[in-house]
Amino acid sequence: MANMITDALACARYNLRARDAALLETVTGLNLPSIIGETRDGVAMLGSDEWLALLTEGTKLPMGEGQPVSIVDVSDRSVGIIVEGLHAIDILSAGCPLDLARWPVGRASRTIFELVEVVIIREADTRFRVEVWRSFAPWLREALKTASNALTA
Amino acid sequence: MILIHCPYCDEQRPEIEFAYGGEAHIARPENPSALSDDELETYLFIRANPRGRHHERWRHAHGCGRFFNAVRDTVTDKFETTYKAGEPRK
Amino acid sequence: MSGFRIDNQGRIDRARPLSFTFDGKAYRGFKGDTLASALLANGVMLFGRSFKYHRPRGVMAAGVEEPNALVSVLRGPKGDRSRFTPNLRATSVELYDGLVAESQNRWPSLRFDAGAINDVFSPFFPAGFYNKTFMWPRSAWEKLYEPVIRKMAGLGNAPSALDPDHYDATFAHCDLLIIGGGPGGLDAALEASGTNQRVILIDDQDELGGGALFDPALWSWLERTRAALAASPNIRILTRTSAFGYYHDNFIGAVERLTDHLTVVPDGPREKLWRIRAGEVVLAQGAIERPLVFDGNDTPGVMLASAALTFLHRYGVAVGQRIVLMAAHDSGWRDALALAQAGVGVTAIVDVREHVAPQLIAQAKEAGIAVHFGASVIGVGGRHEVRNVTIAPNGGGGPATIACDAVLMAGGWTPSVHLWSHSKGSLKWDANWGAYLPDQPNENVRCVGACGGAWDFGAGQSVAALPTPKPLHKTKAFVDFQNDVTAKDIKLAVREGFRSIEHIKRYTTNGMATDQGKTSNLNGLQIASEALALPVTSIGLTTFRPPYTPQTFGALAGHMKGGLFQPTRKTPIDGWAEANGAVFELVAQWRRARYFPQGSEDMLAAVNRECLAVRAGVGIFDASTLGKIEVVGPDAAEFLNRMYTNPWKALEPGRCRYGLLLGEDGFIRDDGVSARLAPDRFHLTTTTGGAARVLNMMEDYLQTEWPHLDVWLTSTTEQWAVIALQGPRARDVIAPLVDGIDLSPEAFPHMAVREGMICGVPTRLFRVSFTGELGYEINVPAAHGRVVWDAVMAAGAAHGITPYGTETMHVLRAEKGYIIVGQDSDGTVTPTDAGLDWAIGKKKPDFVGKRALARPDMLRSDRKQFVGLLTEDPNDVLEEGAQIVADPAQAVPMSMIGHVTSSYWSATLGRSIALAVVQGGHARMGETLHIPMPDKIISVKVCDTVFYDKEGARLNG
Repeated sequence: MANMITDALACARYNLRARDAALLETVTGLNLPSIIGETRDGVAMLGSDEWLALLTEGTKLPMGEGQPVSIVDVSDRSVGIIVEGLHAIDILSAGCPLDLARWPVGRASRTIFELVEVVIIREADTRFRVEVWRSFAPWLREALKTASNALTA
Repeated sequence: MILIHCPYCDEQRPEIEFAYGGEAHIARPENPSALSDDELETYLFIRANPRGRHHERWRHAHGCGRFFNAVRDTVTDKFETTYKAGEPRK
Repeated sequence: MSGFRIDNQGRIDRARPLSFTFDGKAYRGFKGDTLASALLANGVMLFGRSFKYHRPRGVMAAGVEEPNALVSVLRGPKGDRSRFTPNLRATSVELYDGLVAESQNRWPSLRFDAGAINDVFSPFFPAGFYNKTFMWPRSAWEKLYEPVIRKMAGLGNAPSALDPDHYDATFAHCDLLIIGGGPGGLDAALEASGTNQRVILIDDQDELGGGALFDPALWSWLERTRAALAASPNIRILTRTSAFGYYHDNFIGAVERLTDHLTVVPDGPREKLWRIRAGEVVLAQGAIERPLVFDGNDTPGVMLASAALTFLHRYGVAVGQRIVLMAAHDSGWRDALALAQAGVGVTAIVDVREHVAPQLIAQAKEAGIAVHFGASVIGVGGRHEVRNVTIAPNGGGGPATIACDAVLMAGGWTPSVHLWSHSKGSLKWDANWGAYLPDQPNENVRCVGACGGAWDFGAGQSVAALPTPKPLHKTKAFVDFQNDVTAKDIKLAVREGFRSIEHIKRYTTNGMATDQGKTSNLNGLQIASEALALPVTSIGLTTFRPPYTPQTFGALAGHMKGGLFQPTRKTPIDGWAEANGAVFELVAQWRRARYFPQGSEDMLAAVNRECLAVRAGVGIFDASTLGKIEVVGPDAAEFLNRMYTNPWKALEPGRCRYGLLLGEDGFIRDDGVSARLAPDRFHLTTTTGGAARVLNMMEDYLQTEWPHLDVWLTSTTEQWAVIALQGPRARDVIAPLVDGIDLSPEAFPHMAVREGMICGVPTRLFRVSFTGELGYEINVPAAHGRVVWDAVMAAGAAHGITPYGTETMHVLRAEKGYIIVGQDSDGTVTPTDAGLDWAIGKKKPDFVGKRALARPDMLRSDRKQFVGLLTEDPNDVLEEGAQIVADPAQAVPMSMIGHVTSSYWSATLGRSIALAVVQGGHARMGETLHIPMPDKIISVKVCDTVFYDKEGARLNG
């Protein structure tokens, strides 16, 4: 399979924060992973009180007014880039210092690609989703394509 | 590139994901207005500069985002241990 | 002339002859040759001129430790000089068809170099001469000494064209990293083959084998081993790859050379940077032979014994036909015997030792080689090539001359502990080796083979400089060949009082050349030890630092160059700005439109037009780069109350407030207008450059000081595009576009926020102003930013809507005296200094920085305070940063009482305006101060910071 770097389909993104994960689940109706680095049903646990939910485009979550939770729509903040193919790990390893080959499918983490902060999710053996803030996306696409070109040179 | 054990992620992660956070266990006074000028100076500016074990803070800025504590040897640059924010000095 | 190709020797491919040039002359070689071996095969002995004395130099070694034969290589198509690389070791340059190489550091030619005059005047250029000379007269330094010395200094010319090559880079992970593909490394790799371990084996040569490459007895073992490793799926082999540095936690940097050995430069990267994290590291880097220190040891044709063996067995080249070996070590004998056995003429062996193993002596005699014991070479005849050596017994006695065409040196062996030392492994002196061996590891690493001291080179004796009857100052016995450091220089350093090897190194520059002392460190140490009459172990050892061999900047930069050097962040509106002629500027990493020139306007004309248009009608400005933070939770207001100087708890939902953020030291860190959308939700703004810093600071307090507060932060900088609409017609423009929001002044006052729809898109509409005019900041989700901008532009056409950039934004806010954090403040400005006392909540018991504001120094009346300045001549526009004085007639150095922070031509006022910080400024209203400039002194009057609409009536339109 040829290596592909494509933009992910548009989706809804929510940044979810709370000390009480159960309350957050009640308010949002979502199933939240309980270990940093795990994903469940499109929700990744990025930090001890922070989740990133990637949901169907247009999904609106309740705001949880008055509750000790923070639910913030960040749908437009980032874009998703899919890196897929036999060399997906090599392409990402051009700039990411983590041992992605050792990641089980479903693992996610905020990390660095060279100079840019990203969230990487392993969706399948040879498919990774990279979430990056909108204004860094052109640079990241360029960097990934450059890495991909060097591999096939 | 040093590997730092993030106590929240419970994983060794590369240094480039972290940001240094200065000396650890310097709590903001309960009532800063009650500080004398000398006490304020100490709180604001005076820091230990040990040759050896240094208690310091790091933030897993490009990771889980948490601040945590560390004991690092300033001569060998080795991390002795890391522990969560709020835990007592090791 | 000596040296030629030997039949039936070498690993070169005689079926593939190659053509190349050196200094414009054409030569032939074979695939598998290096530039050095091919030139030696052609009888070329002269390769370059030394750094300081411009002495003729030839090849001394066969590998990366070569100090003399530095050449420049020009790759790529004819006439294209963009791929010019200086300072390459000829022993490391792989020969390819069409190679073009040049010698360095000589003029007009290698053979007749005018710089050789330095050798004649060498008594005036000992170590450290530049610390004592070229000082008088001072005026001569800039015009005469420096340019001349610059021209003469250095080796090779720097390339002058932009590097057209690309470089790849990657991180890699493995369980086992083996550095060095000689017998030791290959054994370690074999052991790990066929296991689950991820193994990487790297070697800097074009083929694996290391020392085995010049030991034909090992070649069949080598074949089998290489085949086995190639068939092993868990082993990745990287050849032409140099490990240059060993960093914390088994992190190794290496560069793989991909194309330098090819005739035609292909598309694709030239080199690849490998950043490898290894579970375990095995170092198998071998050992380097030491030269011997005697007068004339730098003559072309004097080389390491093992180098002669390498040239013979690996490249099929004899370095001479009447060779003399000067030995302090058995390995030299073995090399000489091997040469003789291959038919290379070895005339004599001179050994500094009185006693040598009888077996070696017998073999030498059998080969017809004359032997001399307890003697040393005390001189070399010949300048551009060796003609003879003079030897003498060590204790004194008659010298003898031996005709020869090459001199080999066998000074013992130095295990390569460079990478071991990078990793902070400790070293221990070994008297047998006369060198330091690895001792205690600091990482998960072990050494195998010669680099760990596990190799049998035979017995030997460590010598500093060889004994000689000649007075020291009459000898040129080289220690560091590349930097032209002699034994005399090291002794001079000791005489001048230097005791530590680190000082001796820096004073003499021994070990500081591009070869990093690979052949000079230990000899230098021995000589210093002797001169100081101290054991070697008490002088210390200089620090080994990466890179082990010189690396290109290109490889270290990897992909990070050109368009990828730094992300240029663009807003959703940027495309429109570019299409409409914007001139951009960089603010932090963002590209922002600075002004929109029309026709032939220069910046001043454009800005003047934009400013007037905003105040008279309406202007539109892209404010999307502003930092934004969503603060959510029941304790949101409590948290903001603690962080900012302002009171927040009473702020009603739907209202905005200008927030001032201090550090605990009381100085202004950031500011911004923030809105309360709900009792538990705030939309905070920060400066463009401060967004990340402010968020980090706030998270710090929340996580580590007030972890029980129920409030959380989310960065929303990129979630919202922000379109600022400013001017008396602003409401008229957006009225038809907005839905669900009552825009009337009564319902929507200044400093308020409303949620609704604009152009069918949800919006947070702020009524705020940084210009002092009626204004709005339209926040829409970023994906819709451009569409809404286009709609507002269209709706504004009838009103003469004018796009404006950051320059106009700066001028308009300055006319209103609005501070820009980081321009009018510099981290030492308090709210009172800045005239922002009103932003401090007086009833608040505490906020970040409050206590520090009460420090005595913060209360002084002569602090630098924010004021306005009006120049006496209204056409004088002050320079930002210009210093202010009270008395322009005082002597220099003047007492400077402040500086200009912002300065503009104000089209609105028809004159210049400026903002400044001045000592005790608030009490100087109406006072005249002065700004000395190079060509004149400008007088100014201190005034209020607000130049326009002081009452703020226009804001409430």
